[in-house]
Amino acid sequence: MSGLAGARGTWRIAVQRPRRDLVAYVGMLAVVGVVYYAGARIGLTLSLVERNVTPLWPPSGIAVAAFLLSGRRLWPAVAIAAFAVNLPITEGPLAAAATASGNTLAPLLAATLLLRVGFRRQLDRRRDALAMVFLGALVSMLVSATIGTGTLVVSNAISSDRLASAWSVWWTGDAMGVLAVAPFLLCLPLFRELPAWSASRWLEAGTVLVVAGAVATWTARSELPLLYLSLPVVAWAAWRLQLRGAAPASLVMCLITTRTAVNDDGAFAHHTLFEQMFTLQTYNACVALTCFLLAALVTERNQAAAALAAAAVELENRVERRSAELTVAKGRLVEEIKGRYDAQAQLSRSETNARQDHEIAETLQRSLLPDRIPQNPAVALAARYVPATANLEVGGDWYDVMQLDHGLIGLTIGDVAGHGLQAAATMGQLRMAVRAYAVQDPSPVSVMRGVHQLVSHLPMEEMVTLTYLVFDPATRTLRFTNAGHPPPLLFGGGRSKYLEDGVSPPLGVVDVAEFTEPSEEVWPGATLLLYTDGLVERRRESIQVGLDRLQREASEYEGADIDELCDHVLSSLIEGNHIADDIALVAMRPRSEADEALSLTLPAEPRMLGEVRRVVRRWLRQSGVAPDEENEILVACGEACANVVRHAYPTAAGDMVLEAHITDGLLDVTVRDHGTWRSPVERGGGWGLHLIEGLMDTVNVDRRPDGSTVRMRRQLWVRSRST
Amino acid sequence: MTEPARVDISTDHGTQVVRISGEIDLSNAAQVRDAIGASLPDLPIVLLDLTGTEYLDSAGIAMLFRLAERLSYNRQELQLVVPPDAPIRAVIRLTKLDRVIAVKNRAS
Repeated sequence: MSGLAGARGTWRIAVQRPRRDLVAYVGMLAVVGVVYYAGARIGLTLSLVERNVTPLWPPSGIAVAAFLLSGRRLWPAVAIAAFAVNLPITEGPLAAAATASGNTLAPLLAATLLLRVGFRRQLDRRRDALAMVFLGALVSMLVSATIGTGTLVVSNAISSDRLASAWSVWWTGDAMGVLAVAPFLLCLPLFRELPAWSASRWLEAGTVLVVAGAVATWTARSELPLLYLSLPVVAWAAWRLQLRGAAPASLVMCLITTRTAVNDDGAFAHHTLFEQMFTLQTYNACVALTCFLLAALVTERNQAAAALAAAAVELENRVERRSAELTVAKGRLVEEIKGRYDAQAQLSRSETNARQDHEIAETLQRSLLPDRIPQNPAVALAARYVPATANLEVGGDWYDVMQLDHGLIGLTIGDVAGHGLQAAATMGQLRMAVRAYAVQDPSPVSVMRGVHQLVSHLPMEEMVTLTYLVFDPATRTLRFTNAGHPPPLLFGGGRSKYLEDGVSPPLGVVDVAEFTEPSEEVWPGATLLLYTDGLVERRRESIQVGLDRLQREASEYEGADIDELCDHVLSSLIEGNHIADDIALVAMRPRSEADEALSLTLPAEPRMLGEVRRVVRRWLRQSGVAPDEENEILVACGEACANVVRHAYPTAAGDMVLEAHITDGLLDVTVRDHGTWRSPVERGGGWGLHLIEGLMDTVNVDRRPDGSTVRMRRQLWVRSRST
Repeated sequence: MTEPARVDISTDHGTQVVRISGEIDLSNAAQVRDAIGASLPDLPIVLLDLTGTEYLDSAGIAMLFRLAERLSYNRQELQLVVPPDAPIRAVIRLTKLDRVIAVKNRAS
């Protein structure tokens, strides 16, 4: 389709070409014809052989230039002008037509060849200069020279033995005409196309032309072989002004020198025709070649320099643009860095906040757990709390050990589902609730019922597991109830069992719950272990495996001190350093005082006095001491301890230590403290020692700066069953 | 922990009868004294029945001395009831409390 459209377009242009174009064409034909003819007339004045062989034939250059500038369609002008030129100087019209055809065909061939090789009429590349020399001049002009001299011979204008010399003169003349004239004509449009010259340029161009003319005239007319002095001038013109300066200069030089040679003047005098021709054509060739080869080279170089400069400018612009971009980018980067810094700071702040929250929760939890478990003479107690390492949150595990009325010991361990401050706070409330209910009524069912009611009235979502036990040291009996918590472990003396009875659903799960309180006798040497699920639960493992492991590890250490036992259980059940969930652990082991010496260490506080009496009473009974004596001994021990409570630690808290043993019916009781006694100023202060002295056989009081010791002895009426 | 002493106050034929059961020691002597002295009517005799008192230490003795002294300012007489076989009898005897305060074997 496009081919058809193109064809139609061409056709339309062809038929619609305005008449004005035709006029312009005819005008151009006329101009070219006239110029060609004028050039020919000049050329003929330069002939060396007869009147039609010239060493410099400008028309051939004019024709080549005309075809290159305005197209080969101008050939009729060349043909007619050439015919007109040749008609008077050849043997008849036929010879003139033949010669004219040669004169026309040669430039046509030159233009065709040059167009074929991509010739640029600006002559600004080396290859254009070379193409002009070889294709435009030397090759193409073979045609005109051959046809022209052939016609001369055929028309008998010259004899055939002069064919060679005539041919060579014709050929070089045509070629020189192309080399000398065509560049000059081709350079003329450049004055319009290229940047205009400045005045100084014009001045320089004028100077070059004048100097070229002067030098050519002088050297040509000089007898000395100074012809080639022209070359520096041409080089100057080419160097400074390129084709526009060099082509006119070389044309002027060629014309002047040729003219001189034709006149047999100066350098050309006294030489044969061949020597003249050789010298002249060599000279012309050198000037012409120097002219446009150098001009082309310089132009090329200038263009390269300009391109380089443009590239440099472009590069500079690019660098500037890039710099600007970089500045912007840098600004953005700075902004981004600042943003990131801010974000980092924000992050650190939130991390700090999170850490603070965690610390608060942990502190809260630790403060909600018992700061120390009560020291009870009837039982050995130990407890551990290990927070999870993986979880930043604090868990809701808790335990508590309560000294209740009538020597009962309440134990509880529980787990509030969830983590964080809320769980810790709930845990704290529950711990206090258990404590309050246990003080009111230590019965497990009663305590659990109370806690259950509380939980169902509290606005909490959490599920709570809880085991509560009460131990009576006098009967060595445990009563317990369990709301969904892992069962306590009782072990020792080669036996072990989980207390799996008395289980009810976790608190907060069902509205109405029934609780039971089974009881269990704690056999001598047995230890009770309470724990939370973190101790026995592992990922990808049945809880039964954990329970079995606990039973095994605990039993292995049943004879160990209770603190060692706790440490062993923790270290053997915790996997590596990773603690997935919080772990709480409480161990209780009833003491068997009867067969041993009694040793008590208790805080020197009034509320502990009853405890001392209870333990001593039980110990005395188990040791077989009679009730009458029991009361008196209790008073003596009580007074000694009361003195410690009242006088030993006036400013700070401290402990009192009571040790007792019976050897061969002799009761030996020592009450020690580590305080500084103040004088018993209060009334009643003196009664204590008085009573002790009255109730015991011997009393020794040893008061030192680092503490006091009261040692009391009494011979028992009934011999003790102990040794 | 000391068992909380229980103080019951009643009036019987013009006599203020105060029954104390439990244990009296340093930790609760002051509370017992306050309980007794809280609302004593202006009767000539205050009878302190220590039959149910299982333990009495020197702080309790001192408290009884002070109570007797305070009542005497008010021209009231403090009398104690302590059975002969009571666990606190030895303390009464050793502190010679019975020389200052009349001690009866039983409440008549």
